[in-house]
Amino acid sequence: MNTPPHDAVPPPEGPFEPTTGAARLRPPLRRVSGRSIGVWTVRSILGGLINLVLLSVLAWAAGVLPWSWIPEWARENAWMLPTVYFVYALLRTAIVPSWRYRVHRWEVTEDVVYTRSGWIARHWQLVPVNRLQTVDHTQGWLERIFGVATLEVQTASYAGSSTIEGLDAEEARVLSEELAARAGTLRDDAT
Amino acid sequence: MERENGIGPREPSDREEPVDPGEPADPGEGGGWVAPGGTAAGPRPEDGPPRWPSAGEPEPASGSPENGAEDDTGAPRSGSPVTESASEAPRDWWGTGGGAPVFGAENARRLSPRSLVVGPINQLRSLLVPIAAGLIVGGFNPWVLTATGVAVVGLLVGGFVTWRTFRYEIGEERLEIRSGLIRRSTRTIPLERIRGVDVTSTLLHRMLGVAVVRIEAAAGSPGGGEEGKLDAVSVAEAERLRRVLLHRKAVLLERHREETEPVAGEEGSALEPAPAPETVPEPEDTGTTYFRMPWSWYLYGALALGYLLTPFAVLATLFGMAQQAVGDRAADFLVDWVTTSDRGFLLVFAVVFACALILLMPVFAVVSYSLTHWGFSLRGRDGSLIAERGLFTRRSVTLERRRVRGYELLDNPLERTRRAVSLRAIVTGLGDTANRAVLLPIGPRPRVEEVVDRALGLFRGRLTPHPRAALYRRLTRAVLPFAAVAVAAIALEPVWPSVVAGVLALLGVPLGVDRYRSLGHGYDGELVSVRSGSLRRTQATVERSAVIGWSWTQSPFQRRSGLVDLELAVGAGESGYTAQDAAQEESVDFAARITPEMVRPFLVREDGEPPR
Repeated sequence: MNTPPHDAVPPPEGPFEPTTGAARLRPPLRRVSGRSIGVWTVRSILGGLINLVLLSVLAWAAGVLPWSWIPEWARENAWMLPTVYFVYALLRTAIVPSWRYRVHRWEVTEDVVYTRSGWIARHWQLVPVNRLQTVDHTQGWLERIFGVATLEVQTASYAGSSTIEGLDAEEARVLSEELAARAGTLRDDAT
Repeated sequence: MERENGIGPREPSDREEPVDPGEPADPGEGGGWVAPGGTAAGPRPEDGPPRWPSAGEPEPASGSPENGAEDDTGAPRSGSPVTESASEAPRDWWGTGGGAPVFGAENARRLSPRSLVVGPINQLRSLLVPIAAGLIVGGFNPWVLTATGVAVVGLLVGGFVTWRTFRYEIGEERLEIRSGLIRRSTRTIPLERIRGVDVTSTLLHRMLGVAVVRIEAAAGSPGGGEEGKLDAVSVAEAERLRRVLLHRKAVLLERHREETEPVAGEEGSALEPAPAPETVPEPEDTGTTYFRMPWSWYLYGALALGYLLTPFAVLATLFGMAQQAVGDRAADFLVDWVTTSDRGFLLVFAVVFACALILLMPVFAVVSYSLTHWGFSLRGRDGSLIAERGLFTRRSVTLERRRVRGYELLDNPLERTRRAVSLRAIVTGLGDTANRAVLLPIGPRPRVEEVVDRALGLFRGRLTPHPRAALYRRLTRAVLPFAAVAVAAIALEPVWPSVVAGVLALLGVPLGVDRYRSLGHGYDGELVSVRSGSLRRTQATVERSAVIGWSWTQSPFQRRSGLVDLELAVGAGESGYTAQDAAQEESVDFAARITPEMVRPFLVREDGEPPR
């Protein structure tokens, strides 16, 4: 009754023999836009600044306010909190965006959306186009400045939804239209 | 995308008052009726022609011209599949215009008159505590008494109004439910969208021979559902409704499929739906019975952890009630008693009490388990599975087979000692799965598997165990946090926390080993199965066509050990089932065997570009 296209086609008996370790997943072919590094960097800087201000206020308050329950050692070393965070934020801003850029990849074939994301932990995702339910193309203010966009493809399963961050804006628009149109023609029950 | 062509220009709305879906459509349900709102206030009875023509002047099935646009058969096709609308068309006050109401091919029906009794009683029950509190606190003064009387009369009148105005009708293609005196609402549910028909009856309902029918339908949004609730109809009518609804739906789907796909290739579907018979089956035709609860199965309740804890729950409830009733005096009395009593006597009393409680645990468990699972039966009919159970509150859940994507076998360590499992269905778009998806109670594995085999199709493959490195990861996960806490506690020298953490860390060893042993995944050509967990071990099995995506997640630690978490996305149940710590290459191979068309384009040979 609910017959997805990949079910109608019998599994191809090709040259590929499923012996263990014979084959691996290759990375998706395409990188995201280089401008996405800018987005991630600015986002990291802004987030870092806000946290830094909050922590500084906290440290200042701990030093100045006459609260008796704050132990002496905490009072004296309160300045360390924002300092440590500053170093961490600096390192994060310097390293993570370019690292992300190296990891994040995507590929859209006739039938499948294939993405790789993450930075420390990695995440590979395969989403079949014929099971797509929604294709979202979003662009925040920061992304608009840098001319990139986020494409989110969703299926009936929460676990089967994928997000491509930092695509070139024009490319994302074209891609989302294409995907939506293709999903519309291929789609059956989508579950 | 959405902005460009997803949402078209809205149709000019002819409604004056958009209905808030959060508001109860049934005026009786909120404890009273909906007050007339703004401009859409109900016209007086003598205004305009009758909304529903009387039986004396039958109308064509397509609806009379006075009926609003939402009454036309084509209306629900646009917009949300399940529509609800308030109408402002002039109408008769009671919506009857005299004789039996007709608004389609078939006579519209009313709820059972006995719901006049059940509804107010049920509502009164929820008001009982505030009323009693008001009476006691207010010292039975006339104002409170009057207010109570007014409330009760209001409930009765509300129930009567609900009953008078509530109508439902099963048409060829849709179910229509109309209700409301002041704010008329019509809910239209296309029959194709119906996912299940649940029949529930509490003890009170059963004493009066009525039942509540809930019709669950798929709404436009994924996972969201819209319900039609008929509270309450007679038992025979409930049974008829279920039969007719599911049958018509099956016929509609059949017709629909014949129109769209002349050749349906279904050979891949493991959970094959039964072909719908051509005629509505007779009431005595109960379809296939897969399972009836044998007597010995009630004893398995003693193995269910949730039910084992019932004595404590009961005790806590009793204590709470006692405290509420007598107030602080109870606590004072207890403290007095403890401080004045003899130490030895207290000790003996405590030991006896604890022993009694422990001995009573299984008894209570079996009793409460039996209450909820009394007379469990699983039947198949008209392309649906019907699970029915309960002694006082009897509930029967109908799951459409087309939506059943697979099944889950659940067990805990206690149940594993007796090789017992319970069975749940993995169903698309089903809410409240803890209650609704239960297909079988706890029972011996061979028997459960036999039922699965007959009702759904059994997974016959072997589960591939996960590599040894997964064991070390499971152990680390189960032991390390507690060990760290224990070490820290020793360093900071409070004794008790370190002992507790140490014991937990030791307990983590068997737990980790057991978790490792339960890991596994397999594929038998039709069904994909994934197993994990220890205290609540779950083996999820879904048909191949239900797999709608794959995702691999790998932390740096996993990368070092060549492990990966493989999650198969399923548009049903918990939406994703994870094979934890599977071997990296084997997992890719596994996915490629199940859905070659999805995975194979991205495979490279070992000598090719290695994945990073």
